[in-house]
This record gives sequence, C-alpha cells and structure tokens, in this order.
Amino acid sequence: MTNILTQNDIRHVDYKDVDLLKQFINPHGRLLSRKRTGLTAKQQRAVEAAVKRARFMGLLPYIQK
Amino acid sequence: MAEEAVKEMETDTDTGIARIYEIGYTIMPTVKGEDLETIVGGIRSEIGKAGGDFIAEGSPSIIRLAYPMSAEEGDKHLEHDRAYFGWIKFEADVAAVRMLEEMLKKNASIMRFIVFRTVREDTRAKMKAPTLREVKRTDTIQVRPRRAEEQAGPVSEEKLERAIQDITAE
Repeated sequence: MTNILTQNDIRHVDYKDVDLLKQFINPHGRLLSRKRTGLTAKQQRAVEAAVKRARFMGLLPYIQK
Repeated sequence: MAEEAVKEMETDTDTGIARIYEIGYTIMPTVKGEDLETIVGGIRSEIGKAGGDFIAEGSPSIIRLAYPMSAEEGDKHLEHDRAYFGWIKFEADVAAVRMLEEMLKKNASIMRFIVFRTVREDTRAKMKAPTLREVKRTDTIQVRPRRAEEQAGPVSEEKLERAIQDITAE
C-alpha cells in the first residue's frame, strides 16, 4: 500500500507544511495511527515530530473542538 | 574496537563540528515593522558572529495562530491570536547554537522559538495537498434530467377525465 509521502516522493517532513500535516491528524487535532495513515514506521515518526513542532509553534492546534 | 568506539563518542561530543540547524520563531504581533527587522537582524548577527553559514531563510510574516498564545509583556500576561512567524536554516557548531538559544531566551519580543537539527536540502514538500473540493468557480456542472421531459401544453378536459377514471377504476 502506498501512502501520501511515498506517492509524492517526500523524504523529509517539514513542520511548516501545515496542509500536508493536516492529512495526518483527525478533526479533533489528534494524530492518526499508522493503521490509518499507512506510513512506514520511520515516516510515522517523522510526521509525529513535525506535528509536535507545528503545535508548539502555533501552526497546528493541540485540540480542536 | 574499543578505541574506535571512544573515537566515535569523542567526535559526537566534539563541539567543533558544524551541523545543519533550523530555528523557527514567533514574534509578538505588537512589534512594529522597523523593530521586526532589528530583531531578525540580531538573530542573523548572532549566527554570523558564532561563525555560522546561512543556508535559507523565511522572513517573518504575520500568521493566525491555531490557538491563543500567552506572552509576558512587562508584568502582564497577554494572549495573542496572531504572531509573526519566521525561520532561518544555517550551519554552525553546537556551541554557537547554545549561545543562540541563550540569546533568544533573553529576547522578550520573541514569544516562542524552536531549534533543531535538519538537512541541507529543501525540506518543504513540493506537492499540493489534496483538498476536498477541487471544483473551480468557472467550472460548469452539467446536470442531466432524471426523467424524460414531460410534454408541456394544454391538456383537454376529455383526456383529463379519462385519466382520472383510469386511476379511480384501479
């Protein structure tokens, strides 16, 4: 199964790419599981780190009502 | 074998090795345009002073924050829903980065900052994230009628009565 990152040949996940990161969070702002994202373990870790950086900098919400 | 491991550990902790770092920062929205330049200039000069090389930069622009961020202004705590966000990618050694972190902590105009190791190449994704609706305003949506158009026109009373009788007979 291919995922968004592999399909678009994205090797590094940047915390500033908010539109890309929004693909990996649910409407409540929580990270989706690997089962749902279809990412490899390495990619999932990179996405998690990027989302957490984006949250800290106020680019993404911690929680969404 | 053991010597090699020790050597590797030494090189890891060696502060002289230049590495690629990126700093992201949010500046208070109350800062004026001219002061913004001096703040960013201060960060740049600090990197330059420590012997760092610039790789890329994103100039600060005002963004709407995903959640209200509290910041101290004087002795008051204020919440901001907007801030100037910018970033700088540079090459420097660990000691330079530590100095830079100390300098950023002292700066009261900087609400938050983040420093982390990255790679030299551009990490921004080239793709356009797919959106739910990719329909342009100029696109015309053709709708086919669900059933064949009925014949319009006046219907004679005889035909109408016959039709009613057919229905009631059933």
